[in-house]
Amino acid sequence: MDPQTLSFLGLPALAWIAVLPLCGATINLLLGKRLSKSTVTFIAVGTVAAACVLSGVMVFWGLFQHGVDATGNMSPKALWEGEGITQVAWKWIEVGSFKADLAFHLDSLSAVMILIITFVGTWIHIYSVGYMAQDKGYSRYFGYLNLFTGAMLILVLAASLPVMFIGWEGVGLCSFLLIGFWYENDAYAYAGRKAFVVNRIGDFAFLLGTFLLFWAVKSLDFQDIKSLANGAKYATTAWGPNGSQVWGHERLAAAAGICLFIGACGKSAQLPLYIWLPDAMAGPTPVSALIHAATMVTAGIYMVCRLSFLYSVSTTAMIVISTVGLLTALVAAFIAFAQTDLKKVLAYSTVSQLGFMFVAAGTGHYAAAVFHLGTHAFFKACLFLGAGSVMHGMEHGGSKTPGDITTMGGLKKHMPVTRATFMISCLAIAGIFPFAGFFSKDAILGGAWSVAGAGAPPGWPPFYGYLLWGGLLVAALGTAFYMWRLYFLVFSGNERSEEAKHAHESPPSMLSALVVLAFFAVVIGFLGVPELEALHKIPHAFHALETWLAPSITHVWWVDAGIKPEMGHEPSDVVSIVLMVVALGIGSLGIGLAWMLYGRGPSPTVAKLVEGPLHGAWVASKNKLWVDEFYDATIIRPFKAACKGLFEIVDRFVIDTIAVNGAAFVVSLFGRLARWFQNGQVQRYLVGVVVGAAAVFFVTDCHRHPAVTVTLKNDQLHLHAEPGAGIVGSNAKLHWHLDGVPACDGDKTLPGEPADRDIRRGDATGSSIALCIDDAISHTMTPVTVRVPTEETP
Amino acid sequence: MNDVLFNVGYGHFLVLAAVLFLIGMVGVLLRRNAMIILMSVELMLNAANMTLLTFSRMWGDVGALSAHTFALIVIGVAAAEAAVGLAIVVAVFRGRRSVDVDKLNALRH
Amino acid sequence: MKTFALLLALGMVLGVATPAIVHAQPVPAAQAAPSAKPQADLPSVAHPHDDVVESHGTGMALLFWIFAAACIGGALFVITRRNLIAAVMGMVGSFIGIAAIYMMLYAQFLAVLQMLVYAGAIMVLFVFVIMILNRPEDEPVAPTGRAGQVVGGIAIIYLVGRLAGILMNVVVPTSGAVGMGAPRALTLAPYGTTPAESVPWGTVKAVGMDLFGAGMFPFEAISILLLVAVVGAIAIARPLHPHDGTDADPGTHP
Repeated sequence: MDPQTLSFLGLPALAWIAVLPLCGATINLLLGKRLSKSTVTFIAVGTVAAACVLSGVMVFWGLFQHGVDATGNMSPKALWEGEGITQVAWKWIEVGSFKADLAFHLDSLSAVMILIITFVGTWIHIYSVGYMAQDKGYSRYFGYLNLFTGAMLILVLAASLPVMFIGWEGVGLCSFLLIGFWYENDAYAYAGRKAFVVNRIGDFAFLLGTFLLFWAVKSLDFQDIKSLANGAKYATTAWGPNGSQVWGHERLAAAAGICLFIGACGKSAQLPLYIWLPDAMAGPTPVSALIHAATMVTAGIYMVCRLSFLYSVSTTAMIVISTVGLLTALVAAFIAFAQTDLKKVLAYSTVSQLGFMFVAAGTGHYAAAVFHLGTHAFFKACLFLGAGSVMHGMEHGGSKTPGDITTMGGLKKHMPVTRATFMISCLAIAGIFPFAGFFSKDAILGGAWSVAGAGAPPGWPPFYGYLLWGGLLVAALGTAFYMWRLYFLVFSGNERSEEAKHAHESPPSMLSALVVLAFFAVVIGFLGVPELEALHKIPHAFHALETWLAPSITHVWWVDAGIKPEMGHEPSDVVSIVLMVVALGIGSLGIGLAWMLYGRGPSPTVAKLVEGPLHGAWVASKNKLWVDEFYDATIIRPFKAACKGLFEIVDRFVIDTIAVNGAAFVVSLFGRLARWFQNGQVQRYLVGVVVGAAAVFFVTDCHRHPAVTVTLKNDQLHLHAEPGAGIVGSNAKLHWHLDGVPACDGDKTLPGEPADRDIRRGDATGSSIALCIDDAISHTMTPVTVRVPTEETP
Repeated sequence: MNDVLFNVGYGHFLVLAAVLFLIGMVGVLLRRNAMIILMSVELMLNAANMTLLTFSRMWGDVGALSAHTFALIVIGVAAAEAAVGLAIVVAVFRGRRSVDVDKLNALRH
Repeated sequence: MKTFALLLALGMVLGVATPAIVHAQPVPAAQAAPSAKPQADLPSVAHPHDDVVESHGTGMALLFWIFAAACIGGALFVITRRNLIAAVMGMVGSFIGIAAIYMMLYAQFLAVLQMLVYAGAIMVLFVFVIMILNRPEDEPVAPTGRAGQVVGGIAIIYLVGRLAGILMNVVVPTSGAVGMGAPRALTLAPYGTTPAESVPWGTVKAVGMDLFGAGMFPFEAISILLLVAVVGAIAIARPLHPHDGTDADPGTHP
């Protein structure tokens, strides 16, 4: 009995991990209204918890299995040091030579993901029980949430791009459904629509990347693509269509990689396509926590890491990813400074942290990206749930705008547990030792440093790593600052409104999730302690994550020349420690600044700064850099105008007027024409007879006559007669007749053949030349006027 | 031109017959009175007769059933047709009090 | 009307006197010899009436044109007159012209028959019916509609022009030549007789021999046809009710 062959009811176990929440979703959506609340809860939470248990079983069971290593011998190494296990649910598409099975693949990378998803998901489901207790869409909510979980698991467990796309689309759909959950409010519904549309743009790019890969590889399984990227000889021919070298190995990988990355931009809210995430805060807070902190937005990172072999081929793609990630991190941090809505700050923080992760992926440190993904999942989920708790409390206090931090303040007295967990998460996100964020952020910064200078991949400018590092440092400073600004404004100082005075703590179901997540935010960092020489004494478990992920992530840059350099030069111990200290210092600096300006509520300095030197920056930040307005003016309005124009031209004019009305008009025209003929008056019919007779006559008579040409050559007259055209003319028999003999006898041409005769010029004068024409109408001898040419024709 | 005017050949007869035929046809198409239409039909028959005779003369048609026997029969048929046609006109007139063929459009439906 | 009667009389006189005039004409030389014109001329084609009885030349031409004018004038009269009786008179004049033309073609029997039957019997029938109907007037032109008139007019003009062009170029080789269907001798040999005892074309004898010889069946058929026509005419024109068929006042008509 081994994990590879485990299956229940014909469906492999891996499939069950995804299917369990889907079953829950089906039941809750179809029958939820009729079931009692507790049944709905049980089904929803139970299925996700069961999926969590099952994934735990699958993952950890494999740890103790013996696998088969590359040489085919039984090896005591853990199963996960190999290729992982693939289980096929059923054959999905088989068209010609293209095969796509519904196959699920579990290796170390997807193991990490499913554990995070199911675990965090379970706790968020539990939290939602309390949060949505009064909502009348209770069963619908849990149905959607389960559907989302199922789709995310499909995405993560997918063994090929089509299956991943199923999950990709599924999470996009669920995001739409859940953001616009309270659809009666127009603004919320539009936010849902915005998320879906922007996601769709990314999906289009994703599909383009898929098509490019299919074009090159003829298969969309990850194993197949990997084997070609991994090829011992970097066969450029393998990548071109039909084996041609139209697109070189690296160029195609770059193109496909960038297209897929644009898809990830849409899903993970990176720079041009992040606009949906702040608006997505219109949904219930647990939704924000689950989807927009822990899971869906990490789908992009996961995809990049899953396709690490592809991105390793092309350093161009990697530079694009890093740049976009860096810019996003900086821009989002900038915008977060001046926001006054609690969840919006967290949303921009998510965007910024995702930027961090993409920078890590772009420098080749996929493990660091996944590490940050994991830690971020915990502390961001905790932050969101904490925000939800705060808003819940404010609502009970009577606030109509529960998220507005300008009305909060001093809540630490009223909501101590929430405050504690929130503070822990803020420390984590600022990167303070020993919380989770410290280690993961440091891994990313270290990675950026390591691709600078001598460690730069081919094609990268050597200073670029320093640029990345510096930019990330600034972003980290900003992160610490705005998060602690948020903390201080919400919890410290005095209450700035009546509602805040009446706020109270949330129910235990919500608090339990907060506590659990905060706990993990503290401890999980130790999974990724960097590998320092000095720390070799510490057992392997401490930098377990990197080693754990090693088999499933490509660590080398494939270069055409066949050299396989390692990803960057790992900095020496001293440098590593210095970098850690610098990161810590920056984080502390941010917290300090925030404390100075907001420690006990907004200080007067803030007001002076805002009015004075920072006024422009403040306004820009508050207005989100006017990105939405920019898109509206440049894209949406022209698009709408084009639609309107098309409607007028194509719909109104072409289709309605020309096609529909035109067809009716033509029909009535012919009707009128027919009616003219059928008025019952016989004389009218006779007119038709006469016209018809004339037409027949015309047709047979036209061009009936032969064409006569006379040429003079060497004193010889050459007479040539071509039969005419038309039915009658072309079947005429012709004959040149001379010498006045009035007969058209013998020697007539075959029907339709020309007639030729040569006579001496002297004979032409004085003799009569006639052309006998024998056709259906006349059997005449036609005198032909022969104008004897005076000069020779050439 | 002189040739056409002063040398009258078979062609002239044929053209005359054709013109008569066409005048008759115009009459059939354009006049509304049934009597005039019948008269125009007679004209057309005469034109046909003339053509027949001309060609017969031209080719020396003396075989069995030569053209002017045929023309004779055509005259007979024309007479019969005129009689029956006039009887119809009388009958129609009795019914409708008019011989305007434009009013005889019951064929429309 | 008076002018018309005059024309009529003139036509009859001329029609009768034609052969005499014709016989008086000298026979011009055949134009078979090629002239010294640079243009190729018609090869020796048979001119009309280049047959047993020589008759061509200016006199014939003049007669032809006069009779043709009578035909066409009468025909135009028919189609343009509002007054039915005037139309009938025009018809009669046209028939007289046609009879004269037949005479020029040497179809004597048919010419006379034309006068007797057509102008004498059929037109009289027309006059009777016109009198019965008691409606001597009518609108001359039917509003067929502009489109119909234009299209029909174009078609007719085209036909006239084309026919004239074609028919004028119909050329018959002389009786002496071998070739594309030379005309046979314009005589008819009676049954069982030798060609020496041939009968000239167009005479009563020729028609009779033909009609009662080879054309026996058509002869019988035409007589049955006439019988049927008579019966049919009576059947159709018979009044359905005893008081129908007369100029009864319209009020009593059901």
